[in-house]
Amino acid sequence: MKQLLTIILLVFTITAHSQCLNNQTSNLNPIGPYQPGDVVTVTYTLGNFAGINVNWIHAFQINLGVGWTNLTPITAPGNPFGSTGNWLWDLQNTYPGGFNFGPGWRFVNAGTAGWGTSSNGPFTMIFQVTVGPTCTPDNLNISMEVFDDCTTGGWANGNCCIDPAYNIYNGVVLPNIISTSNINHY
Amino acid sequence: MNYRENKQVLLALFITMIMMTTTIFTFGQTTINPDTVCANAVGEQYFVTNTPTSTYQWTAAGGGSIITSGQGTNSITIDWGGVSGLYPNAVEVIESNAAGCPGTPILLDVFVLDLVGNAIGPFCPGDPTTPLVGNPAGGTWSGTGVVANAFQPSTGVGNYVLTYSMAGCTTTINVIVNNGPVTGPIQHF
Repeated sequence: MKQLLTIILLVFTITAHSQCLNNQTSNLNPIGPYQPGDVVTVTYTLGNFAGINVNWIHAFQINLGVGWTNLTPITAPGNPFGSTGNWLWDLQNTYPGGFNFGPGWRFVNAGTAGWGTSSNGPFTMIFQVTVGPTCTPDNLNISMEVFDDCTTGGWANGNCCIDPAYNIYNGVVLPNIISTSNINHY
Repeated sequence: MNYRENKQVLLALFITMIMMTTTIFTFGQTTINPDTVCANAVGEQYFVTNTPTSTYQWTAAGGGSIITSGQGTNSITIDWGGVSGLYPNAVEVIESNAAGCPGTPILLDVFVLDLVGNAIGPFCPGDPTTPLVGNPAGGTWSGTGVVANAFQPSTGVGNYVLTYSMAGCTTTINVIVNNGPVTGPIQHF
Protein backbone atom coordinates (compact mmCIF):
# COMPACT_ATOMS: atom_id res chain seq x y z
CA MET A 1 0.00 0.00 0.00
CA LYS A 2 2.79 2.36 0.96
CA GLN A 3 4.62 1.59 -2.29
CA LEU A 4 1.45 2.18 -4.30
CA LEU A 5 0.94 5.58 -2.69
CA THR A 6 4.55 6.48 -3.40
CA ILE A 7 4.13 5.60 -7.09
CA ILE A 8 0.89 7.61 -7.36
CA LEU A 9 2.53 10.61 -5.70
CA LEU A 10 5.54 10.36 -8.02
CA VAL A 11 3.34 10.22 -11.12
CA PHE A 12 1.30 13.21 -9.90
CA THR A 13 4.46 15.21 -9.21
CA ILE A 14 5.82 14.54 -12.66
CA THR A 15 2.49 15.44 -14.29
CA ALA A 16 2.16 18.74 -12.43
CA HIS A 17 5.76 19.80 -12.95
CA SER A 18 6.55 22.71 -15.22
CA GLN A 19 9.64 22.26 -17.32
CA CYS A 20 11.08 25.76 -17.14
CA LEU A 21 8.70 27.76 -14.96
CA ASN A 22 9.08 27.86 -11.22
CA ASN A 23 7.10 29.49 -8.44
CA GLN A 24 4.13 30.89 -10.35
CA THR A 25 1.66 32.80 -8.19
CA SER A 26 -1.31 35.05 -8.82
CA ASN A 27 -4.07 36.90 -7.09
CA LEU A 28 -7.27 38.65 -8.13
CA ASN A 29 -8.85 41.73 -6.67
CA PRO A 30 -11.70 41.43 -5.97
CA ILE A 31 -11.95 37.69 -5.70
CA GLY A 32 -14.72 35.96 -7.65
CA PRO A 33 -17.40 35.06 -8.47
CA TYR A 34 -18.10 37.90 -10.87
CA GLN A 35 -21.09 39.63 -12.40
CA PRO A 36 -21.36 41.75 -15.56
CA GLY A 37 -19.50 45.02 -15.13
CA ASP A 38 -17.08 43.80 -12.48
CA VAL A 39 -13.52 45.10 -12.98
CA VAL A 40 -10.85 42.70 -11.79
CA THR A 41 -7.18 43.44 -11.20
CA VAL A 42 -4.92 40.45 -11.77
CA THR A 43 -1.39 40.18 -10.46
CA TYR A 44 0.78 37.38 -11.77
CA THR A 45 4.34 36.52 -10.79
CA LEU A 46 6.71 34.05 -12.31
CA GLY A 47 9.31 33.51 -9.59
CA ASN A 48 11.94 31.95 -11.78
CA PHE A 49 12.49 31.04 -15.40
CA ALA A 50 15.06 28.30 -16.00
CA GLY A 51 15.20 27.76 -19.73
CA ILE A 52 16.58 24.51 -21.08
CA ASN A 53 19.12 24.61 -23.89
CA VAL A 54 19.82 28.30 -23.20
CA ASN A 55 16.32 29.24 -24.21
CA TRP A 56 15.40 32.71 -23.00
CA ILE A 57 12.04 33.87 -21.84
CA HIS A 58 10.28 35.79 -24.59
CA ALA A 59 6.56 36.35 -23.99
CA PHE A 60 3.71 36.23 -21.47
CA GLN A 61 0.39 35.47 -23.14
CA ILE A 62 -2.87 36.08 -21.29
CA ASN A 63 -5.63 33.61 -22.17
CA LEU A 64 -9.13 34.86 -21.38
CA GLY A 65 -12.54 33.25 -21.48
CA VAL A 66 -15.15 34.83 -23.73
CA GLY A 67 -16.86 36.50 -20.79
CA TRP A 68 -14.02 38.98 -20.31
CA THR A 69 -13.60 42.27 -22.07
CA ASN A 70 -11.49 45.41 -21.90
CA LEU A 71 -8.14 43.80 -21.13
CA THR A 72 -5.87 46.60 -19.91
CA PRO A 73 -2.18 46.44 -18.99
CA ILE A 74 -1.29 48.07 -15.69
CA THR A 75 2.29 47.05 -14.91
CA ALA A 76 4.72 45.35 -17.30
CA PRO A 77 7.04 42.58 -16.11
CA GLY A 78 10.46 43.55 -14.81
CA ASN A 79 13.72 42.51 -16.43
CA PRO A 80 16.16 41.92 -13.59
CA PHE A 81 19.72 41.35 -14.86
CA GLY A 82 18.31 40.74 -18.32
CA SER A 83 19.16 41.66 -21.86
CA THR A 84 18.82 45.18 -23.15
CA GLY A 85 15.32 45.76 -24.37
CA ASN A 86 11.79 46.18 -23.08
CA TRP A 87 8.53 44.36 -22.53
CA LEU A 88 6.03 45.48 -25.14
CA TRP A 89 2.26 45.16 -24.62
CA ASP A 90 0.73 43.60 -27.68
CA LEU A 91 -2.76 42.42 -28.49
CA GLN A 92 -1.49 40.25 -31.32
CA ASN A 93 1.84 39.51 -32.94
CA THR A 94 2.91 36.95 -35.49
CA TYR A 95 6.58 36.07 -35.15
CA PRO A 96 8.68 35.60 -38.33
CA GLY A 97 8.44 31.84 -37.96
CA GLY A 98 4.65 32.04 -37.95
CA PHE A 99 4.07 31.64 -34.25
CA ASN A 100 0.99 33.58 -33.28
CA PHE A 101 1.04 35.42 -29.97
CA GLY A 102 -1.28 37.62 -27.96
CA PRO A 103 -2.53 39.33 -26.06
CA GLY A 104 0.17 39.94 -23.47
CA TRP A 105 3.70 41.22 -23.06
CA ARG A 106 6.53 40.22 -25.35
CA PHE A 107 10.16 41.14 -24.93
CA VAL A 108 11.79 43.21 -27.64
CA ASN A 109 15.48 42.52 -27.49
CA ALA A 110 17.42 45.62 -28.49
CA GLY A 111 20.45 43.58 -29.58
CA THR A 112 19.30 40.53 -31.46
CA ALA A 113 15.83 40.69 -32.84
CA GLY A 114 13.93 37.53 -32.09
CA TRP A 115 15.66 36.76 -28.86
CA GLY A 116 14.01 37.13 -25.53
CA THR A 117 15.72 38.28 -22.37
CA SER A 118 18.39 36.47 -20.43
CA SER A 119 16.69 37.40 -17.16
CA ASN A 120 15.60 34.58 -14.89
CA GLY A 121 13.10 36.78 -13.07
CA PRO A 122 11.25 37.22 -10.94
CA PHE A 123 8.65 38.69 -13.31
CA THR A 124 5.60 40.38 -11.87
CA MET A 125 2.89 41.93 -14.02
CA ILE A 126 -0.51 43.43 -13.42
CA PHE A 127 -3.49 43.78 -15.73
CA GLN A 128 -7.18 44.53 -15.49
CA VAL A 129 -10.12 42.82 -17.11
CA THR A 130 -13.81 43.58 -17.05
CA VAL A 131 -16.72 41.18 -17.09
CA GLY A 132 -18.62 41.97 -20.27
CA PRO A 133 -22.36 42.55 -20.47
CA THR A 134 -24.07 39.22 -20.84
CA CYS A 135 -27.22 37.33 -19.96
CA THR A 136 -25.57 33.92 -19.94
CA PRO A 137 -22.95 32.22 -17.73
CA ASP A 138 -20.05 32.91 -20.06
CA ASN A 139 -16.60 31.49 -19.47
CA LEU A 140 -14.34 33.63 -17.26
CA ASN A 141 -11.24 31.47 -17.18
CA ILE A 142 -7.91 33.27 -16.97
CA SER A 143 -4.58 31.61 -17.58
CA MET A 144 -1.04 32.72 -18.30
CA GLU A 145 1.14 31.06 -20.91
CA VAL A 146 4.86 31.70 -21.03
CA PHE A 147 6.88 31.23 -24.20
CA ASP A 148 10.62 31.08 -24.68
CA ASP A 149 12.52 32.27 -27.75
CA CYS A 150 12.82 28.72 -28.93
CA THR A 151 9.05 28.51 -29.17
CA THR A 152 8.73 31.88 -30.84
CA GLY A 153 11.38 30.90 -33.33
CA GLY A 154 14.24 33.26 -32.50
CA TRP A 155 16.52 30.62 -31.06
CA ALA A 156 17.15 27.11 -32.29
CA ASN A 157 19.28 25.13 -29.91
CA GLY A 158 17.47 21.97 -29.03
CA ASN A 159 14.09 21.41 -27.45
CA CYS A 160 11.88 24.28 -26.41
CA CYS A 161 10.35 24.66 -22.98
CA ILE A 162 6.99 22.91 -22.86
CA ASP A 163 5.05 24.36 -19.97
CA PRO A 164 1.32 24.15 -19.40
CA ALA A 165 -0.64 27.37 -19.08
CA TYR A 166 -0.83 28.53 -15.50
CA ASN A 167 -4.40 28.65 -14.27
CA ILE A 168 -5.29 31.96 -12.64
CA TYR A 169 -9.07 31.71 -12.45
CA ASN A 170 -11.78 29.23 -13.34
CA GLY A 171 -15.37 30.37 -13.33
CA VAL A 172 -18.33 31.69 -15.22
CA VAL A 173 -20.33 34.90 -15.18
CA LEU A 174 -23.03 34.95 -12.57
CA PRO A 175 -25.83 36.74 -14.44
CA ASN A 176 -28.00 38.97 -12.34
CA ILE A 177 -31.05 37.01 -11.31
CA ILE A 178 -34.28 38.72 -12.33
CA SER A 179 -37.12 37.98 -9.98
CA THR A 180 -40.40 39.55 -10.99
CA SER A 181 -43.36 39.56 -8.64
CA ASN A 182 -46.78 38.34 -9.71
CA ILE A 183 -48.99 40.76 -11.59
CA ASN A 184 -51.35 42.64 -9.33
CA HIS A 185 -54.51 44.48 -10.23
CA TYR A 186 -55.82 47.44 -8.28
CA MET B 1 -50.71 38.22 35.22
CA ASN B 2 -48.87 41.06 36.93
CA TYR B 3 -48.17 44.53 35.60
CA ARG B 4 -44.81 43.57 34.12
CA GLU B 5 -46.31 40.58 32.23
CA ASN B 6 -49.13 42.76 30.89
CA LYS B 7 -46.58 45.23 29.64
CA GLN B 8 -44.69 42.46 27.78
CA VAL B 9 -47.87 41.16 26.13
CA LEU B 10 -48.84 44.66 25.00
CA LEU B 11 -45.37 45.24 23.62
CA ALA B 12 -45.52 41.96 21.67
CA LEU B 13 -48.92 42.88 20.26
CA PHE B 14 -47.64 46.30 19.26
CA ILE B 15 -44.63 44.81 17.44
CA THR B 16 -46.86 42.27 15.67
CA MET B 17 -49.19 45.03 14.47
CA ILE B 18 -46.24 47.04 13.13
CA MET B 19 -44.90 43.96 11.30
CA MET B 20 -48.31 43.23 9.76
CA THR B 21 -48.70 46.83 8.64
CA THR B 22 -45.21 46.83 7.17
CA THR B 23 -45.94 43.60 5.30
CA ILE B 24 -49.14 44.97 3.80
CA PHE B 25 -47.52 48.20 2.59
CA THR B 26 -44.40 46.45 1.34
CA PHE B 27 -46.00 43.75 -0.78
CA GLY B 28 -49.39 45.27 -1.55
CA GLN B 29 -52.32 43.21 -2.66
CA THR B 30 -52.07 39.90 -4.41
CA THR B 31 -54.36 39.32 -7.37
CA ILE B 32 -55.82 35.84 -7.64
CA ASN B 33 -55.39 34.13 -11.00
CA PRO B 34 -57.60 34.43 -12.99
CA ASP B 35 -58.32 38.07 -12.42
CA THR B 36 -61.83 39.38 -13.11
CA VAL B 37 -62.64 42.64 -14.86
CA CYS B 38 -65.92 44.11 -15.95
CA ALA B 39 -66.72 44.30 -19.63
CA ASN B 40 -65.75 47.67 -21.12
CA ALA B 41 -63.81 48.63 -18.00
CA VAL B 42 -61.36 51.47 -18.62
CA GLY B 43 -58.18 52.51 -16.83
CA GLU B 44 -57.65 49.21 -15.04
CA GLN B 45 -54.22 49.33 -13.39
CA TYR B 46 -51.85 46.36 -13.32
CA PHE B 47 -48.45 46.39 -11.69
CA VAL B 48 -45.50 44.35 -10.45
CA THR B 49 -43.02 45.26 -7.74
CA ASN B 50 -40.67 47.87 -9.16
CA THR B 51 -36.94 47.43 -9.60
CA PRO B 52 -35.68 50.94 -10.46
CA THR B 53 -32.98 49.76 -12.89
CA SER B 54 -35.31 47.43 -14.79
CA THR B 55 -37.64 47.98 -17.72
CA TYR B 56 -40.89 46.13 -18.26
CA GLN B 57 -42.40 44.92 -21.51
CA TRP B 58 -46.15 44.39 -21.17
CA THR B 59 -48.51 42.57 -23.47
CA ALA B 60 -52.29 42.57 -23.25
CA ALA B 61 -54.13 40.13 -25.46
CA GLY B 62 -57.75 39.07 -25.76
CA GLY B 63 -60.98 40.58 -24.60
CA GLY B 64 -60.47 43.67 -26.71
CA SER B 65 -57.74 44.85 -24.35
CA ILE B 66 -55.64 47.92 -25.08
CA ILE B 67 -52.69 49.16 -23.03
CA THR B 68 -53.32 52.86 -22.61
CA SER B 69 -50.35 53.94 -20.50
CA GLY B 70 -47.25 52.84 -18.63
CA GLN B 71 -45.53 50.61 -21.20
CA GLY B 72 -41.90 50.17 -20.11
CA THR B 73 -42.65 50.81 -16.46
CA ASN B 74 -43.74 48.48 -13.72
CA SER B 75 -47.35 49.73 -13.85
CA ILE B 76 -49.78 49.97 -16.76
CA THR B 77 -53.42 50.74 -17.40
CA ILE B 78 -55.63 48.68 -19.67
CA ASP B 79 -58.99 49.35 -21.28
CA TRP B 80 -61.00 46.17 -21.73
CA GLY B 81 -63.49 45.27 -24.42
CA GLY B 82 -66.99 44.00 -24.03
CA VAL B 83 -66.71 40.36 -25.06
CA SER B 84 -67.24 38.19 -22.05
CA GLY B 85 -65.03 35.16 -21.46
CA LEU B 86 -61.88 33.75 -19.92
CA TYR B 87 -58.70 34.88 -21.62
CA PRO B 88 -55.65 32.78 -20.68
CA ASN B 89 -52.38 34.73 -20.37
CA ALA B 90 -54.23 37.92 -21.17
CA VAL B 91 -51.66 40.08 -19.38
CA GLU B 92 -47.95 39.35 -19.63
CA VAL B 93 -44.90 41.22 -18.42
CA ILE B 94 -41.22 40.54 -19.05
CA GLU B 95 -38.74 42.39 -16.86
CA SER B 96 -35.31 43.22 -18.25
CA ASN B 97 -32.47 44.29 -16.00
CA ALA B 98 -29.96 47.07 -16.62
CA ALA B 99 -27.85 44.73 -18.79
CA GLY B 100 -30.87 44.03 -20.99
CA CYS B 101 -31.28 40.48 -19.79
CA PRO B 102 -34.91 39.33 -19.79
CA GLY B 103 -36.47 37.54 -16.87
CA THR B 104 -39.15 34.89 -16.88
CA PRO B 105 -42.48 36.03 -18.36
CA ILE B 106 -45.11 36.64 -15.71
CA LEU B 107 -48.63 35.85 -16.82
CA LEU B 108 -52.13 36.59 -15.64
CA ASP B 109 -55.38 35.08 -16.91
CA VAL B 110 -58.30 37.47 -17.08
CA PHE B 111 -62.01 36.80 -17.06
CA VAL B 112 -64.00 39.58 -18.72
CA LEU B 113 -67.35 39.65 -17.01
CA ASP B 114 -70.32 41.00 -18.94
CA LEU B 115 -73.42 41.00 -16.75
CA VAL B 116 -76.89 40.86 -18.27
CA GLY B 117 -80.12 41.34 -16.39
CA ASN B 118 -83.20 39.79 -17.95
CA ALA B 119 -85.98 42.29 -18.53
CA ILE B 120 -89.23 41.85 -16.60
CA GLY B 121 -92.55 43.65 -16.53
CA PRO B 122 -94.34 45.85 -16.98
CA PHE B 123 -96.38 45.01 -13.94
CA CYS B 124 -99.55 45.98 -12.28
CA PRO B 125 -99.55 46.52 -8.54
CA GLY B 126 -101.46 43.33 -7.91
CA ASP B 127 -99.10 41.09 -9.87
CA PRO B 128 -97.26 38.36 -7.97
CA THR B 129 -93.61 38.54 -6.92
CA THR B 130 -91.37 37.78 -9.89
CA PRO B 131 -87.88 36.23 -9.70
CA LEU B 132 -85.08 38.35 -11.11
CA VAL B 133 -82.67 36.54 -13.43
CA GLY B 134 -79.13 37.64 -14.15
CA ASN B 135 -76.52 36.15 -16.43
CA PRO B 136 -74.19 34.71 -15.42
CA ALA B 137 -76.08 33.47 -12.42
CA GLY B 138 -74.83 33.88 -8.90
CA GLY B 139 -75.01 37.65 -8.51
CA THR B 140 -77.13 39.79 -6.27
CA TRP B 141 -80.11 41.99 -7.15
CA SER B 142 -80.80 45.21 -5.32
CA GLY B 143 -83.16 48.16 -5.58
CA THR B 144 -86.59 49.25 -4.45
CA GLY B 145 -89.02 46.39 -4.35
CA VAL B 146 -86.34 43.70 -4.44
CA VAL B 147 -86.49 41.00 -1.81
CA ALA B 148 -84.36 37.86 -2.05
CA ASN B 149 -83.53 38.41 -5.73
CA ALA B 150 -87.20 38.84 -6.66
CA PHE B 151 -89.24 41.92 -7.52
CA GLN B 152 -92.47 42.71 -5.72
CA PRO B 153 -94.87 44.73 -7.90
CA SER B 154 -96.85 45.39 -4.75
CA THR B 155 -94.23 47.99 -3.99
CA GLY B 156 -96.42 50.33 -5.96
CA VAL B 157 -96.73 52.24 -9.18
CA GLY B 158 -93.48 53.62 -10.54
CA ASN B 159 -90.36 53.16 -12.63
CA TYR B 160 -87.69 51.27 -10.75
CA VAL B 161 -84.02 50.83 -11.55
CA LEU B 162 -82.82 47.45 -10.33
CA THR B 163 -79.13 46.59 -10.14
CA TYR B 164 -77.53 43.21 -10.67
CA SER B 165 -74.05 42.91 -9.07
CA MET B 166 -71.27 40.34 -9.21
CA ALA B 167 -67.54 40.48 -8.57
CA GLY B 168 -67.54 44.25 -8.53
CA CYS B 169 -69.46 44.55 -11.81
CA THR B 170 -73.00 45.84 -12.16
CA THR B 171 -75.77 46.15 -14.71
CA THR B 172 -79.24 47.64 -14.40
CA ILE B 173 -82.73 47.07 -15.71
CA ASN B 174 -85.78 49.30 -15.57
CA VAL B 175 -88.97 47.86 -14.20
CA ILE B 176 -92.29 49.61 -14.60
CA VAL B 177 -95.33 49.12 -12.42
CA ASN B 178 -98.33 50.71 -14.07
CA ASN B 179 -101.55 51.92 -12.60
CA GLY B 180 -104.36 49.46 -12.78
CA PRO B 181 -107.60 50.57 -14.50
CA VAL B 182 -109.88 52.65 -12.34
CA THR B 183 -113.32 51.13 -12.62
CA GLY B 184 -116.36 53.04 -11.40
CA PRO B 185 -119.14 51.52 -9.33
CA ILE B 186 -121.68 49.35 -11.03
CA GLN B 187 -124.65 51.45 -12.17
CA HIS B 188 -128.24 50.28 -12.74
CA PHE B 189 -130.21 52.06 -15.38
